[in-house]
Amino acid sequence: MKRILLLRGAELVVFGLLAMIPLLVVNPYALGLLTLLAIYGILLIGLDVTVGYLGQVNLAHVAFLGLGAYTAGLVVTKLGLGMAPALLAALAVGLVLGGLLALPALRLEGPQFALATLSFSALSTTALNELEALTGGAQGLSLNRPPIFGHALTPPLFYWLCMALLAVVWMLMRNLLASQWGRAFEALRDSPIATDAMGVGTYRHKVAAFALGSGLGGLAGGLYAFNFQYLQPQSFTYDLMIILLLGVVLGGRKSLWGAFVGASVIVLLPNLLSNRLLFQIFSGLGFAAALAAGLQGLYRKTTRPFQALAPVVAMGILVVGGLLVENTEDWRKAIFSLMLFSVVVGLPEGLMGFTAIFLAKLFRVPHAPLPEPANIDAVLPLRPSDGTPLLVIDDLKRYFGGVKAVDGLTMTVRSGSIHGLIGPNGSGKSTVVNVISGLYTPTDGTIALRGVVLPSGSLFRVAQAGVARTFQNLQLFGELTALENILVALKGVYQSSLPMVLFGLARGEERRAQAEALALLELIGLRDQALTKAKDLTYGAQRFLEIARALARKPDLLILDEPAAGLAHPDMLQQIAIIQKIHQRGVSIILIEHHMDVVSELCDMVTVLDGGRIIAEGTPEEVKRHPKVVEAYLGQPPEPQLDGGPAPQPA
Amino acid sequence: MNAAIIGQMAISGALMGLVYALIAYGFQLTYATSKSINFGQGELVMLSAFFSLTLTNLGLSQHWGLGLSYGLMVPGGLIFGAIMGLVVERAGVRLALEQKSEGWILLSIILGLFFFSAAENIWGRDDRPFPTPIPEEPFHVLGLAIGPREVAVAVGVLGIMGLIELLKRKTLLGKAFEAVSADRDAAELMGISATRTVMLSYGLSGSVAALAGILVSPITTVGPTMASAIILKAFSVAVVAGLDSGFGVVLVGMFLGALESLASFYLGSGWREAPGLVLLILALALRPTGVFGKATIRKV
Repeated sequence: MKRILLLRGAELVVFGLLAMIPLLVVNPYALGLLTLLAIYGILLIGLDVTVGYLGQVNLAHVAFLGLGAYTAGLVVTKLGLGMAPALLAALAVGLVLGGLLALPALRLEGPQFALATLSFSALSTTALNELEALTGGAQGLSLNRPPIFGHALTPPLFYWLCMALLAVVWMLMRNLLASQWGRAFEALRDSPIATDAMGVGTYRHKVAAFALGSGLGGLAGGLYAFNFQYLQPQSFTYDLMIILLLGVVLGGRKSLWGAFVGASVIVLLPNLLSNRLLFQIFSGLGFAAALAAGLQGLYRKTTRPFQALAPVVAMGILVVGGLLVENTEDWRKAIFSLMLFSVVVGLPEGLMGFTAIFLAKLFRVPHAPLPEPANIDAVLPLRPSDGTPLLVIDDLKRYFGGVKAVDGLTMTVRSGSIHGLIGPNGSGKSTVVNVISGLYTPTDGTIALRGVVLPSGSLFRVAQAGVARTFQNLQLFGELTALENILVALKGVYQSSLPMVLFGLARGEERRAQAEALALLELIGLRDQALTKAKDLTYGAQRFLEIARALARKPDLLILDEPAAGLAHPDMLQQIAIIQKIHQRGVSIILIEHHMDVVSELCDMVTVLDGGRIIAEGTPEEVKRHPKVVEAYLGQPPEPQLDGGPAPQPA
Repeated sequence: MNAAIIGQMAISGALMGLVYALIAYGFQLTYATSKSINFGQGELVMLSAFFSLTLTNLGLSQHWGLGLSYGLMVPGGLIFGAIMGLVVERAGVRLALEQKSEGWILLSIILGLFFFSAAENIWGRDDRPFPTPIPEEPFHVLGLAIGPREVAVAVGVLGIMGLIELLKRKTLLGKAFEAVSADRDAAELMGISATRTVMLSYGLSGSVAALAGILVSPITTVGPTMASAIILKAFSVAVVAGLDSGFGVVLVGMFLGALESLASFYLGSGWREAPGLVLLILALALRPTGVFGKATIRKV
C-alpha cells in the first residue's frame, strides 16, 4: 500500500504541478520548452520500448517522428482535416510502418537490427526530400494549428493537450509494461529461443513492441508538427537520433520516469550549451560525480578500472575543453558524445535507474506483497499414469549435410513414464530433442503426440501443442526474477485482451498468476528466492528454475535436457527429488542424461543411441548389461568369460 | 547509344563500388575476431582523409613535389587510421565485449560522433579538394571512358585486400587471427591472446578505412560529411554479402555501385542511396547471413 501511495503520489504531484504551470507563469519561452518536454516525453517512452525492453539499438525512431510529423502536416494542409484526425493518422502511420519494418527486421539481432533501422531512417529522409510534390522537399512544409472543437489552440491550451496526451500514454504504457506483455518483451531480450520454447511467440511480441514504440513516435511527430508549424526533412536525421538515444540512456532504460528525465535533458541541452557559466557548472558537477563514483567503485572493487576511469577522463575532457574552446555551440556533438559516453560506461542504469535504487532505500519502499502460493493440485493436477503411448516417433531422420545425426529412430514414450535417452557424445540425443521440440525440422519421419502429428520446425507451435523443454545450456531470462521467469511461461491464466491490459483491468489475473507461479517455486524449493534475478541465483537453483519454468507450461510431455549437468552432488540429489515429485504428479518425461546413477534411479525405460541409431532399449538394468551399450561406452567388446565367472560390471 | 551510356554508368559505378567493398572488408575484419563492427567507421574514413590532406599539404609546402609528398602521406595516413582503430577498440568495444553486451554498438556510434565534431572544428565544415598526382583525364577502352583515379581506387582496394588475405594465410600472426575467428575460447587455450588479436583486427580495419578515405577523396573532395553516404552503402555491402564472406564484398560492392549509378541516372540523383538501402533491408529479411555468408545451425 505504501508503495502504491508513493509511486502514484509522485506521478500525481509531478503532473499536477506541470498542469498548473501555465496558470502561474506567463513566460512564453518557458511554456514552449515545457510543451517540447511533453512531446519528447511521448517520443522517448516509445523509443524505450525497443531500446530498453527489447534491448535493441533502434536507429529508426527519428524516422517515425518525421513520418508522423509529415503525416499530420499533410492531413491538415492537403486534406483540410482537423487536429484529432491528423494526430490519429500520425499514430497510425507509426504503428503500420513500424509493424512493416519489424517484419523483415524481426529475425535480426544486435548489429543487423541497428543497420536495418539505420537504413530505414536514411530511406525515409530520402523519400521526404524527393517527394517534392507532396512534402515540398527541402523547401519544407508550413502548416497552421487548426482549432479544436471550435477553439483556437493558444499556447497554454496546446501545452495542456500535449501534457494530457503524455499522461494518457504514461498510464497505458505503465499498465502494459507491467503486464505479461512487458515481461515477454524483456524475455525476448534475454533469450529469444527460450521465449519461443515457452510458447510465448517471439514473432508477434517483437512486431507488437516495435509497432507500438513507433506508433508513439508517430504521435509525438504529429504534436511536433503542430508545435513548430514548419517541417523540413533535415530536422529528422541521424543527429537528432543520437540525441534521442542520449535521452533514453541518460534518463534510464526501462523506466517511464527515465524517459521523462531524458526528455527534460534534451529540452534543456541547447540552453545549457548557450550559457557558458551554466555549462561550466554542469560539466564540473559531472566531473565531480564521475570522480566520486569512479573512486568509490575502485575502492570497493565493484567496477573494473576502465569502467571507473573512462567516465572521469571523458568528463575531464569536457571540463578542460569547455575552458579552451571559444564557442561551445560549435562543439555540440562532441559534448553530447562525451556525456553519452560517460553515462553508457559509468552509469549503465541511467540517472533514474540509479536514483530509483537510492530512493527505494531512502523511503524503504517494500516490494508489493506476494500472494500465498496456490495449491499445487490446482496448478499441476494429478494425472493418471496409464501407460498408453503418448509420444510416438516413427523412423525419424535428421541429416546435416552428409552427417546423419539421427538416422531412423523409432521409439514410443508411454504416458506417465520417465523415458531415458542416453548415449555417448555425438550419438544424436540433443538432435532428437531439438527435432521433437521444433528447433530443427526433421529430414524425414513423423512425431505424434497422443496420435496427433506435432508441428515441425517451430519451437513456438510445438510448445503450444503441449511439449515443454529445458535447455542443456541454461536459457533463463537472466534479468527477470525467478518469479517472473515462471510468469512468462505460465499457461492458462492470462486471458485478458490487450485493451483490458492497457486500461489496467487485468490485475486480478496477475494475482492468480503469481499464486500459481509461487506454487511451482515451492515445488522446487525456491519460494524464498522468488524476487531474486535469475542471473543472481546459484547454478543449481538456475537448473531447478528451468524445470519449474517448463512446468508452468503445464505440459503433456516434459523434455529435460541433461538436468544434472555440472551439478554438485547435493544439488544432484535435490534435482532427482524434484524430478521424482514431478513424476508422481503424472507428468510424462523424456530425460537426457549422462549420469548413469541418475538414469537408473529415475527412468522406467531407457533408449540408448549411438551414431544416430538405437542400439538398445529396455529397463535401466537390462540396458546396462547390453553388450552393445557396454561397447559404445567403453569402446571394446566384453571379453568372453571362459571360466564361467561373473561378467565384468560396466562402469 | 543507350547501351553505351548504361555500360559507362555501370563501369564507373562499379569502380566506385570498390570503395564500399573496401570499407565493408574492414567490417569483416573486426567481425571475424570479435563479432563486433565499428558503427563510427565512416568517421575514421573522414578523419584519416583530413589527416592525410594535412600531411600532403605539409609536404607540398616544403616543395617536395606532389608525387613524393603523396608517397609519404599514404603510409602516414594508414598508420593514423590504425591508431584510431585501436582507440575505438580500447574505448568503445573492449568493455562491452568483456561484459558480453551489445553496448559496443552505442559506444562506437558515440565515438564516431566525437570524431565528427572534432574534425568539424579542427578542419572546418567546408569540402576541400584533395591533391593527387594521378591525372583526371579519362582514357578510352572499347568506347568507354575510364578515369585513372577510378582505376587507382580499384588497384588500391584489390591490392590491400589481397595483401591482408595473404598475411592471414601465410604468417603466424595471420594464423592466430584465423584461429581466434574460428573459436575464440579454443584459441585462448592454445595460448593466443584473443584481446591482442581483436586489437590487431581493429588496427587493420582502421588502416583499411584510412586507405578508403585516401583513395576516394580525390574523387569526392574532403569534408566532415564526405563519408556519411558512403558508409551507409558500405554497411549495405557488408550485410548483403555477409559479414564473414571474404571476397563476396567485392562482387556485391561493384554490383551496388553500378546499381546506384544507374538509379541516379534514371530516377534522379536524390534517389542514388535508395537501391542500397532497399537491398539491405531485403537482404536482411530474406537472408540474414548474407548472400555469400554461411548459414549457421542454431545450437542450444
